[in-house]
Amino acid sequence: MADRLDLGVDLGRGLRLRSPVMVASGTFGYGFDAPLVDREALGAIVTKGTTLRPREGNPPTRIAETASGMLNAIGLQNPGVEQVATAYAPRWAGWQLPVIVNVAGESVEEYVAIARRLSGVPGVAGFELNISCPNVAHGLQFGVDPRLAAEVTAAVRATTPLPLMVKLTPNVTDIVAIARAVTDAGADSISAINTVVGMAIDARHRRPLLKRGSGGLSGPAIKPLALHAVWQVAGAVSIPVVGIGGIASSADALEFLMAGAVAIQLGTVNYSHPEAARDVRDGLEWYLRSEKLEDLAALSIRGTRVPSHA
Amino acid sequence: MSLSVRAKTMVLERSTPMVGAVELVLEDPEAAAAAKPGQFFQIAVEAQHAILRRPYSVAWVDRRAGRIAFIFNIVGSGSAWLASRHAGDQLALIGPLGKGFTVEASSRRAVCVAGGLGVATFPCLVAELGALDRPVVFLQGARVADRLLPADRLPGVDLRLATDDGSAGLRGSVVQLLSRALVADSDVFACGPTPMLRRLIDAAERLELPLSRIQVALETPMGCGFGTCLGCVAPRLGGGYLLTCTDGPCIRADRIDWERMSDAFHG
Repeated sequence: MADRLDLGVDLGRGLRLRSPVMVASGTFGYGFDAPLVDREALGAIVTKGTTLRPREGNPPTRIAETASGMLNAIGLQNPGVEQVATAYAPRWAGWQLPVIVNVAGESVEEYVAIARRLSGVPGVAGFELNISCPNVAHGLQFGVDPRLAAEVTAAVRATTPLPLMVKLTPNVTDIVAIARAVTDAGADSISAINTVVGMAIDARHRRPLLKRGSGGLSGPAIKPLALHAVWQVAGAVSIPVVGIGGIASSADALEFLMAGAVAIQLGTVNYSHPEAARDVRDGLEWYLRSEKLEDLAALSIRGTRVPSHA
Repeated sequence: MSLSVRAKTMVLERSTPMVGAVELVLEDPEAAAAAKPGQFFQIAVEAQHAILRRPYSVAWVDRRAGRIAFIFNIVGSGSAWLASRHAGDQLALIGPLGKGFTVEASSRRAVCVAGGLGVATFPCLVAELGALDRPVVFLQGARVADRLLPADRLPGVDLRLATDDGSAGLRGSVVQLLSRALVADSDVFACGPTPMLRRLIDAAERLELPLSRIQVALETPMGCGFGTCLGCVAPRLGGGYLLTCTDGPCIRADRIDWERMSDAFHG
């Protein structure tokens, strides 16, 4: 077999991935549970959303499958930053791939405290700011207001020298305004999108299927929304954009890379196909070879033959 | 974790063991060798618009022949797709997953309590109990007689039946059979709808059977099956949650908060 192509990507501030295929927050735990033997096939792991203190999460029912998608309202169940710093990070430090901690807070001070606790801890390669969780009381407020999004981004930026990715919600009128605001506030990269708020009703019992009522929709059902969001954001900011939303195959990943993403995250597909990250990476390499393209950057169709109103 | 992802497991037979249920027998020596009673597999389905695998507990294994079987009912597009597989078709399995029943060698009586399709997890357990020479009283309940798993599928047990309409055995709930089945030091193994399990817990408390002597096989909505999505929680006694997929599905009844459990799952 020929040498593997270099599919490495640079997400800024020294965060280099050897594969553009990451696994998304909440779909891979803290990297210890999934039955994927070959961790080396991943570009990076983004951890479960981590809060200052432990959270037990929402009461069940927490998940429901819908057409080509699933709703979840987990409620940020996680062991809290201290457990991550003392028990998990030391294990990551021995791995040959970056682990990016997804940070969730209810106030600017909480985001800052989490980032401060984990900065300099061996094994923590960077942060993804979750300003867009739909399943907690205050989760969306930072992500839907450009001023608040910039404020929390700037505060964490001032706290840590580590690479900072900000994850955007699609549950806004103008995602571009948020993307510009967090870029100006010092984000090194943007990931988009988080889940789309939705619901399902249990007709037999005449009540919402999820105990919380609403939840976040993920999976192939949201892929066109996600792709358009990435298209818009990548056209508006100069920092790297990481595409997320219903990607289940290398064909899906190619669409996001063509739309202007430099990397992608796999989410819901990890549940049904835990080996998907390897397959998507290998599919991208196969595509580059068969199209005789030098690297991933050659994939973008931004600035070519595309209607400006898209 | 002794778990593996297998892309090609062949269907050998499909049958209808009782009304409303389908049984698939698969050729998979590795799965048959590894699976313990009460454990489950995540089976990929190719139904339109379905994206998650379907979790099914192992019904029985034949380790010598390398066969493993699942018994399930049709509740949606995924199980309907599975139910329409033919001999020679391939399935993709992940497993065995989760914690099965804890079965010890002992002379203590085992009392199995199965409600509805909950019986699907028991042939495997009955075989294991039989191999340990443990006396087994098996309480099986269903809506009507033709929805009971036939007695020849549960060899060597003292089988006692209950049906909602009285068409076989006691007319009423399978839990009503419990008091006469228990002897001192019984171990209870149960699987069925949450309301049935709740009645069982209430009956155990009345009969002064410690909940630590009861193991229940839980069924909750499930995403991944291996501990990452945190979707399949059951309320833990004392606060917080257990994961059905990795703490269970077989869990000691004294670890569960049955008040919150009933609230969550239509109990």
